[in-house]
Amino acid sequence: MSEAFLRIKQLHKWFGQNQILKNINLDLSDGQTLSLIGASGSGKTTLLKIIAGLENANQGQIYLRENRIDALSPQQRKIIYLYQDALLFPHLSAFENIAFGLRLQKAKHIPAQVNAMLDKLGMQDQGHKMPNQLSGGQKQRIAFGRALVIQPQLLLLDEPFGALDPEIRSHMQKLFKTLVSSQNLSAIFVTHDLKEAIIIGDNIAKIEQGSLIQYDSKKAFYQDDKSGVNDEILFWKHLKNETNED
Amino acid sequence: MMSKILKYSFVLAVVFPLVFLLGLSLAQQWQFPEVLPQQWTLQHWGNSLFQQGDILKSLFLSLGLSLSLAGTVSVFAFFMSKHIAYSKHRQLYMRFTLVPYILSPVVLAVIFQYYFTVANLSGNFIGVLIAQLFFALPFGIVIFNNFWNEHLKSIEQLSFTLGASSRQSLLKVILPLSKPAIVLCFFQSFLVSWFEYGLTQFIGLGKVKTLTVMVFSFINEANVFYAALACILLILPPIVLLYMNKKILILAR
Repeated sequence: MSEAFLRIKQLHKWFGQNQILKNINLDLSDGQTLSLIGASGSGKTTLLKIIAGLENANQGQIYLRENRIDALSPQQRKIIYLYQDALLFPHLSAFENIAFGLRLQKAKHIPAQVNAMLDKLGMQDQGHKMPNQLSGGQKQRIAFGRALVIQPQLLLLDEPFGALDPEIRSHMQKLFKTLVSSQNLSAIFVTHDLKEAIIIGDNIAKIEQGSLIQYDSKKAFYQDDKSGVNDEILFWKHLKNETNED
Repeated sequence: MMSKILKYSFVLAVVFPLVFLLGLSLAQQWQFPEVLPQQWTLQHWGNSLFQQGDILKSLFLSLGLSLSLAGTVSVFAFFMSKHIAYSKHRQLYMRFTLVPYILSPVVLAVIFQYYFTVANLSGNFIGVLIAQLFFALPFGIVIFNNFWNEHLKSIEQLSFTLGASSRQSLLKVILPLSKPAIVLCFFQSFLVSWFEYGLTQFIGLGKVKTLTVMVFSFINEANVFYAALACILLILPPIVLLYMNKKILILAR
């Protein structure tokens, strides 16, 4: 068995009679981001919640750094699950939201760490603001900061930029890549958007009706007729030709 | 114009009856058609609060009963409603919470009286408290019902992944967010208990003399001066709570 940072083996999940996840096998290397694409209801969110410990699988094993973690509580896993909604704690300021995990850990130099994170996020002067005073993009940045400041083992992102407008979305994608590579974090990034999956992911996996296909490389993904990449390229070519004809 | 009409309506509806009751409680003699009492006295207040002290005792009994009920309902309804809200059988449980409203509190008391007598709970404070819980607790659960939702569940789960234990998540996240709902539940349950008459009288066997029971008793005796005095004391705690409720809710925002 070659070394993998995260390894999922033969994982199954049923909700009543419905099998949501079918024999999921997945490997993620250290410091890599895996983009996970799939239609609504295909089981992406359930898979992330199982990895984070927020749902239980009916069958299968999850290993993190070769340690089996599927019996551990979410608190013990040090895996952060980020939702599409930033879910900032509404009664805490931006500063206190970032400091939340550090205070639980009784960490040292909390103000310095939080200020450094605010700086990285480009929000040095926004720490005093309450969540209802922040824009959608700012909230999502604080949510990132809150997750990254406690140095999680793994980051799980469930369409975190889905609700943002295109310009902010593009900015957030760049910020995500910068922050994740600067901390050498491993992440699974769920998205509907093929382009986003290609920009963000070092590797790509696809989930369809509960079954997961993990590609060996991005190239293998592009070459798969069912990946949707060819359709996308044809669409843009067609659009370009039409524009030229006009 | 509209605000003036509302202001005068408020004065007519709330302040005027209060002033009238205060006048009545301070009157030695007040006969129709006199606009003001012919004779004023502090005797009723002195008797009730210092010499006989019956009304004062009832006031403290009522406060004890209503605060105990409001506290118990707020705590139990908070946790029970969470369990119900995230249960597969939420709809069924919520239908059960409506059962006490189909029957009036007095009818409930009649149904359960036998069991209260057997358990030696008739005619005492604990018995009345338990009897009031039968309908106040479902009421509290209904108040909390909409508070627990998928959004809050996600926030709670997020706090777990950030390293919070269940206790830390409760203290640092859920309780601060639920403050308005808890205040509302506490206030409403207090009022339900404070003005409750039929069930208290029935299970209390007339021995648990709350202030509301005393007011009815004075009215039955045609003792209007003492009834007015008891009414003023009856109205004061809800006004104080209403003020506190407003302050807390404003602070929570």
